[in-house]
Amino acid sequence: MDIRNTVLRQLKNQREGFSLEQPFYIDPDYYRLDLEMIWYRDWLFLGHDCEIPKAGNYFTVQIGDYPVVVVRGRDKLIRAFHNTCRHRGHRVCTQDKGASAKLVCPYHQWTYDLDGSLVFARQMGEDFDKSQFGMKPVHCETVGGYIFICLANEAPDFAPVRATVEPYMAPHRLSEAKVAHKNTIIEKGNWKLVWENNRECYHCAGNHPELCRTYPEAPTATGVQGAADDPFISEHWERCEGAGLPSSFNMHQSGQFRVARMPLIQDAESYTMSGQRAVKRPLSDDVTISHIGTMLLFHYPTTWNHMLGDHAISFRVLPISAEETAVTTTWLVHKDAVEGVDYDLEELTHVWNMTNDQDRSIVEENAFGIRSPAYEPGPYSPDHEGGVMQFVEWYRNFMINRLQGDQAKLAVVA
Amino acid sequence: MTVDLAYKHVDEMRPWSDRTHLLECVAWTPEAPDVMTFTFKADRPGHWFRYMPGQFITLELPVGPEPLLRTYTLSSTPSRPYTVAVTVKAQKNSIGTRWMFENLKPGMKIRAIGPLGDFSYVKHPGEKYLFISAGSGITPMMSMTRDMADRQPDSQISFIHCARSPDDIIFRWELEYLARHLPHFQPGFIVENVGRSQLWSGLRGFIDKAKIALLAPDFLDRTVFCCGPDPFMATVRESLAGAGFDMGRYHEETFQPVAPVAPVVVHEGEEGAPAHKVRFAMAGKEATCEPGFTVLQTARAAGVRIGAACESGLCGTCRVMLLSGEVDMNHNGGILDDEIEEGYILACCSRPKTDIEVEV
Repeated sequence: MDIRNTVLRQLKNQREGFSLEQPFYIDPDYYRLDLEMIWYRDWLFLGHDCEIPKAGNYFTVQIGDYPVVVVRGRDKLIRAFHNTCRHRGHRVCTQDKGASAKLVCPYHQWTYDLDGSLVFARQMGEDFDKSQFGMKPVHCETVGGYIFICLANEAPDFAPVRATVEPYMAPHRLSEAKVAHKNTIIEKGNWKLVWENNRECYHCAGNHPELCRTYPEAPTATGVQGAADDPFISEHWERCEGAGLPSSFNMHQSGQFRVARMPLIQDAESYTMSGQRAVKRPLSDDVTISHIGTMLLFHYPTTWNHMLGDHAISFRVLPISAEETAVTTTWLVHKDAVEGVDYDLEELTHVWNMTNDQDRSIVEENAFGIRSPAYEPGPYSPDHEGGVMQFVEWYRNFMINRLQGDQAKLAVVA
Repeated sequence: MTVDLAYKHVDEMRPWSDRTHLLECVAWTPEAPDVMTFTFKADRPGHWFRYMPGQFITLELPVGPEPLLRTYTLSSTPSRPYTVAVTVKAQKNSIGTRWMFENLKPGMKIRAIGPLGDFSYVKHPGEKYLFISAGSGITPMMSMTRDMADRQPDSQISFIHCARSPDDIIFRWELEYLARHLPHFQPGFIVENVGRSQLWSGLRGFIDKAKIALLAPDFLDRTVFCCGPDPFMATVRESLAGAGFDMGRYHEETFQPVAPVAPVVVHEGEEGAPAHKVRFAMAGKEATCEPGFTVLQTARAAGVRIGAACESGLCGTCRVMLLSGEVDMNHNGGILDDEIEEGYILACCSRPKTDIEVEV
């Protein structure tokens, strides 16, 4: 039977409030369907515009089967291209990141300008029309210092994302920040397990001693419901919004992205062991008050984020296989902050390096257990795991809509 | 060799290729003071030249230890495909062209790259044409005119050529001959000076809007091809634009490497300019760079390998670290400002201004 029909049937029959069935977490065919239905169609966070500040700066990313290069042009605009030479297909940019006046394929030196146009191809005959062989563009948008791309031929409208997230991000001025540290860990678990683990703090008390010094375990802070009714949170929003920082919980109707500014525990200002700021130089001069908590930004399927008074942390999720996921964490500080003077790198990164490693372990053990033939979907906690249920609901809705949409197209053809 | 074997029809012949064949000089013909036409055939029998009228060819002239590359538009026509010809003017300080005048004789074989280029009515067709040239800029115009005379003799061509004096008009007699045979071919000449012993009934002075309108009254309806020194072409451009000409129908030939993949130009050095030493640190070699030569050419002459592809300052493949000394770099966007600040140069388009050392 067609895998698409199987998946569609399973998703439609999914027991409400229960985790997904085993193949969604381990089966390579299901993974391929995830790529086609989600990863090749949605806007994906790839990195920060401050990572490529100058013309010719670029970085590369692999998304499923697609190698992509993101580059800043001479006109300062950021563009993304399919990183495959129009000659024989060799990857044009083979480094993780770099700086180059032109994008030159190492194989035969086909040379592309930073806008993707082919400007040099040696001895291709007089009938060769260079204009027909530029690098293929990938949809690319930047908002609030974040670079998003979309691999689909026709990308979903980015305007709603921009409208929702930009006002919340703008005061943090991340376009003017710098990367203090960046690392990537591989978690041996399906990308959905990485997200499900992230979407609740039910597990925090038993697993994250460092994070729990500053981050509240309350489901109202992490989840999707009840925040407005929490007096501690609503008071926080009122104070921050009074200082010009949009704060209240705001989720798009599709459930795909949302923003909210959540308070940290008591006097905590930053994710450090002491709760005190890790960076002396504030992240943004536009933030005029202290104790602003953390601005949480989520965008499925690639990113969750924390924007604080002294630094910001972005997380990028990219699937590698049915049972492997890469999580890239980036710490951003004010561009003038000096390591060793304004901050100590170990202090800045300690809490989330520990937390990431703890989460990796959790996800890997979770994946181990799910591989058991005895695994069957279990119930989520209504009190603590509303965020997970919301994630799974988003996944179900998007998959069902697109699988059904594809069926409709097939029906027309038949 | 029997006549049978020696005589081949064009469709029995194969195109000449710059990768596998050389050019063999078959004739040199004086055209005007300091102007010579050199005609070449394929160095092996049974090959014809496939190109578009107006295209250029780059000749590899064995002037010194490292060959000199010189780019010339072809004056010959592809409608007579058994030979190609360049018509070259020897300027005062020229090295390459002077070498051709003194050394290039029938029987000599040289390497060439091309033909290449977009400057052709084939690529930019129009209903009526206006060719405007000065000096040896006449060569692509002559190629196109000869081609149209053979292929489409009813083509409408106004042909304005500017020269220093009546004696300096290249191809003057052939143009007058063509004017008698082609119904819609109108040559017109503008000369700067006329000697006292000469009869000259044509226009005098320099090109301007009024003279263009006089020699080609319907120039606004024509597709223009222009070739000559930069200031000359600038005047033509301004004259046309000022008259409301649609510049989308204006095409010019330039040998300055501003456009991507323009032909490589070796700048000729000033007379008496000093040669500089180039030290290749990792290779442990040192070579003398003659005036006008690039670091890449010097490296090749010294047997030092530097990877290179476009050789026009575009692809950046020949990037090397300059350890000491100064160069004049004329790149085409193939290197970042940051890289230049770090001390990198592109060997293909850098000419030493002092003794230098590079890290290869």
